[in-house]
Amino acid sequence: MNKKLPIICPSCSTDLKVKSLYCDSCDTTISGQFNLPVLLRLEKKDLDFILDFIRCSGSLKIMASKLNLSYPTVRNMLDDLIHKLESLDQDV
Amino acid sequence: MFEKVFNPFKYVAGMRSLILGLAFILATSILGYFSQTYFPDVISVKIGADRSFFNSIIQNFLNWFVVSTLFYLASIILSKSKIRIIDIFGTQALARFPYLFMALTGFSESMDAFGNHLLWKYLQSGEPVEISMIQKVMAISLMFVSALLTVWMVILMYNAFKVSANLKGPKLIWAFITVMILSMVILSNISKYLIF
Repeated sequence: MNKKLPIICPSCSTDLKVKSLYCDSCDTTISGQFNLPVLLRLEKKDLDFILDFIRCSGSLKIMASKLNLSYPTVRNMLDDLIHKLESLDQDV
Repeated sequence: MFEKVFNPFKYVAGMRSLILGLAFILATSILGYFSQTYFPDVISVKIGADRSFFNSIIQNFLNWFVVSTLFYLASIILSKSKIRIIDIFGTQALARFPYLFMALTGFSESMDAFGNHLLWKYLQSGEPVEISMIQKVMAISLMFVSALLTVWMVILMYNAFKVSANLKGPKLIWAFITVMILSMVILSNISKYLIF
């Protein structure tokens, strides 16, 4: 089962942090307090968009034809994502 | 389905929408000439107008060109995105598609006759015109259809601007209203010199 990484606290809706990391090869556990990387704090649809964008060599035209959307629609999606990343950067 | 009718620009923009849109504007002009339906500005319609063939074509293309130019200027000023001129002009051309059907309404003489009948009956202006009940019903139905087509075109123009300029919220609404009013003022002034 592909489990979804929770990024928001279900109790108080605050961004979650990483408390421990575990190596299942040597059974080592690292404890501490780490912020989630910006990309992991995005929603799944945003992450999928970024992956598609990279697979299309960063070409919005190719991506638009692959997604059957118009060029400005895909450009607007990218601009919204840039805005979201900027907001997440400011929150850190 | 609903989205494709009111916001096809999510799927079509750029050169494809420009070619389609220009073909529709040309077809609207030709039909408008034969049905004597004249479009003096970006949304107004006059039935029974006797204009030349070239006047009909120039006016319709001018309506599209002026409003698209103003939308482009507004986009440059207000949008933070990299705007493509072909998206603005292309989507605005395609947004004029409902007026192809508007040009067809002029083939029915009932609206013109009903207008002349009202002028004669209530304002005592022009020659006496009597019309049948069928003509009255037909004229009112066509007026209703015309109103719906106008609303449809305005929604399309709004969505075309929204998608191609990537504007949102009050900025989008105020820019749209300002451009529509400005274009109507500019085009109604230009139209005065286009009567031939």
